[in-house]
Amino acid sequence: MDQLLQLTVVGLVVGCVYALTATGLVVTYTTSGIFNFAHGAIGMLGAFSYWQLTVKWHWPVLLALPVVLLVLAPLFGATIERIVMRPLHGASVDVTLVITLGLLLFFLGAANYFWDQGQTRVLPELLASWKPVDIGGVVVTWGQIIIVLAAVGVAIGLRFLFSTTRIGIAMRGVVDDPDLCAMSGASPARIQQLSWAIGAGLAALAGILVAPKVGMSALQLTLLVINGYAAALFGRLKSLPRTAVGGLLLGLLVSYYPVYVAPHLPFSTTFGQLEKAVPMIFLGVLLLFLPSARLRTATTVGRVAPTVPGLRQSLAGGGVMIVLAIALASALSSANLLIAGGMFISALSLLSLVLLTGYSGQTSLCVLTFFGLGAFAMAHSGTSPLGLVWGGLLAAAAGMLVALVTARLRGLYLALATFAFAKGMDVGFFNFKLGSGQSLQLKRFELPLIDTSSEKTFFFLTVVVFVVAAIGVLAVRRGRWGRQLTALNDSPAACATLGVNTTITKVVVFTASAGIAGVAGAMFGAQQEIITPSQFDVLGSLALLLALRIGGINTITGALFGAFTIGLFPEMPQILGHFGVTLPDKVQLTFLLTGIAAISIGRDPDGLGGQVSKLGLRLRQQFGSSSTPAAPSYEEATLVHG
Amino acid sequence: MSTVDLETYVPHIDHQYDPRDPEVALYVDEVSVRFGGVQAVSAATIACLAGQVTGLIGPNGAGKTTTFNVITGLEAPTSGKVFLGNEDVSGLTPYKRARKGLARTFQRLEVFGTLTARDNILAAAEFRRGWSKDKSNPRAVADQIVERVGLQHVQHERVDMLPTGLARLVELGRGLATHPRVLLLDEPASGLDMAESEALGDLLIDLAQEGIAVLVVEHDVDLVMRVCDRIHVLDFGRIISVGFPKDVQADPAVQAAYLGAED
Ligand SMILES: Nc1ncnc2c1ncn2[C@@H]1O[C@H](COP(=O)(O)OP(=O)(O)OP(=O)(O)O)[C@@H](O)[C@H]1O
Ligand SMILES: [Mg+2]
Repeated sequence: MDQLLQLTVVGLVVGCVYALTATGLVVTYTTSGIFNFAHGAIGMLGAFSYWQLTVKWHWPVLLALPVVLLVLAPLFGATIERIVMRPLHGASVDVTLVITLGLLLFFLGAANYFWDQGQTRVLPELLASWKPVDIGGVVVTWGQIIIVLAAVGVAIGLRFLFSTTRIGIAMRGVVDDPDLCAMSGASPARIQQLSWAIGAGLAALAGILVAPKVGMSALQLTLLVINGYAAALFGRLKSLPRTAVGGLLLGLLVSYYPVYVAPHLPFSTTFGQLEKAVPMIFLGVLLLFLPSARLRTATTVGRVAPTVPGLRQSLAGGGVMIVLAIALASALSSANLLIAGGMFISALSLLSLVLLTGYSGQTSLCVLTFFGLGAFAMAHSGTSPLGLVWGGLLAAAAGMLVALVTARLRGLYLALATFAFAKGMDVGFFNFKLGSGQSLQLKRFELPLIDTSSEKTFFFLTVVVFVVAAIGVLAVRRGRWGRQLTALNDSPAACATLGVNTTITKVVVFTASAGIAGVAGAMFGAQQEIITPSQFDVLGSLALLLALRIGGINTITGALFGAFTIGLFPEMPQILGHFGVTLPDKVQLTFLLTGIAAISIGRDPDGLGGQVSKLGLRLRQQFGSSSTPAAPSYEEATLVHG
Repeated sequence: MSTVDLETYVPHIDHQYDPRDPEVALYVDEVSVRFGGVQAVSAATIACLAGQVTGLIGPNGAGKTTTFNVITGLEAPTSGKVFLGNEDVSGLTPYKRARKGLARTFQRLEVFGTLTARDNILAAAEFRRGWSKDKSNPRAVADQIVERVGLQHVQHERVDMLPTGLARLVELGRGLATHPRVLLLDEPASGLDMAESEALGDLLIDLAQEGIAVLVVEHDVDLVMRVCDRIHVLDFGRIISVGFPKDVQADPAVQAAYLGAED
């Protein structure tokens, strides 16, 4: 009984934090129509700024708290709205997703830059010196009481804002009818800015409240606030009261789970390990119960269908690449070959996204999960090259499962579902199958006649696998299947009314894409000969998707470009070091640069690959197309006409 | 406001036909749709006969597009049924209805914008080849349809670069590529010039003569009067008149609805 009470109190307190963060997310979403994936990172930045003021600079809490919550965070939110979000007005979900994911990575990178994560920081609980109170046999700290009071206060405050103040009422109206709202005299831009300010303030509040408990880790804090997204979904991203209830339910579930739920399930040890995955499982289940979205068309305005090389062209391109690979293999040192090979492996995993996201338009934030499953299968295949097959199959099976479960979801919800899957697998599978923070040793597969233990040979092999996969993906794109995927991307509704079972199409493409990622992962495992859970974490998947987006989501060039940039970012300090430029070592350049690039380029749906494609076209028009040996494909013909 | 007295209104049922009559290719049986507070369609009954062009007309917001969405399964009705070729398809998903010979075009375009005009039609022909027993060559089908709907001159253009009128023809061609028995067209002539719209009219008459049941929503009165064998008039979600074009045109209720809509 005591235990139940104790867990209930803890659950309610955690639930209040979830409710707070989710509330901020929902306020921003309902008003601006943008689901802010960076919300968790904003909360984390709030906690770090607060730490900086109170612990580092010794400001009194009573000064620092209002400065962060009422000045810095809202200003920060308003600035993001003004600089990044306002120009996006009316952009598709796809674009806002990329931009907010870019912000998320950028903020994480920035936090790592300003606050060296190697150093330990402690943020004391609020009113830690006050004596805990005994409420009906349960000892409650003042920190916990404050969390509950803060949540109640925010709920009352928002209720007041939305039901009695003019601006609040206008905020409620702005999404439903911006014109009506404009008529009432309130400027929609101003209102949205306010909603971003409130959202950021609430995120910061949540961050500051949980930091003493979770610890000052940028990653952990960000992810914890992200757990609150599940509560927002309970409110269907609309209703604040339901969101609050969702937060409390989630808090209770998380608190009860290890004691009252997991031990009573079959495979209780396995389920016990899943404790940290509970919020994501909750999120996944909620997504399944969302009312079915109506089939809607995707916005294709401005998207170019980049030139798809014909078979002869792609074979020629592949040949050139293999020749280059041979040259590189003899020129580079073993260490550099490992890095270069890694880039081709990344490019291979990006090919899976070209197929899935580029061609068929489905966002996936879990590419590294499939990748990791591939590596995991490889680790259990000894020195057999069949590990590549098992890797592909295991990942494909997982992909099929995800696709079947998420068949009804699209856009933001599909992104959230794949995010939940990736994060759930992070904490529920990789961390415990590979051993948290530990690593798993692999043996490189062996082939007859080929010495795979040589870095040169293995690099060459990697390039060959990539080239074969790229030629395959291009062949798919040119054919019947490619047309079907493009059609599905352009208009799911039209596909359905033409007799296409869109669910099957989705499942097939998801499975195939996951399979490619699995093979890439198996190659990765074999190449590295050691894997760690953090290599497959969800943030890496985000970075990959963004890198592809930067390169050009539906081109092979995009995959290569994305893989190279993302592979080069971590090497930057060293490379620039040769030129006398020093960068702080711990800067997570990947996140920082990928994030900023995604923010700046995310608005262009074609990415750099599209730009290159357009440039090539212009050049060819200028100098005549006589130099192109292969017959132009239909896409080329179109572009030349248009 | 409404020209029909809500209190005394009796849903207009097309008593002339029954969903089980062999010549009835499509029967919309007392379908109602409600969106929150808006009653978009109220117990509308529509019969479309094989080999005929049926018109569905009415002022803006009358519920025509919503009716199309219900017929194709994209929207679930609050009540009512849809019969295709005497079979109740109310419980079927859109793709299953399509496989039973139902095709449509969209008022708000749903083209495959990044594909060329010909590839739009080719894709549809390939879809059909995938799900039907007919294994005729999709490329031949596509070429033939491109010519039939008159898109040869733009067949290699990306469809999102085409003017709306031509994009509508692409949707029509795409629908035809599935060899439908029932073809629903939502404002196919909007965006077409006089000559093009006349050619479209001829095409619709031809299609009907081949045995297809064509149901067309169109604001171009001349076109409707010329091609339709029978017309249903929707107003505020209710069928207020059914009959031959001449009779419908003379119907005072119809005139009142259109006049009412104009002020
Ligand atoms: N998804 C929806 N949610 C809410 N209301 C809707 C929805 N779709 C249509 N409506 C409403 O239902 C009514 C009928 O709309 P519908 O588009 O079917 O009319 P229509 O006859 O096709 O008009 P038009 O000639 O302008 O195309 C309108 O009042 C419209 O506002
Ligand atoms: Mg309409």
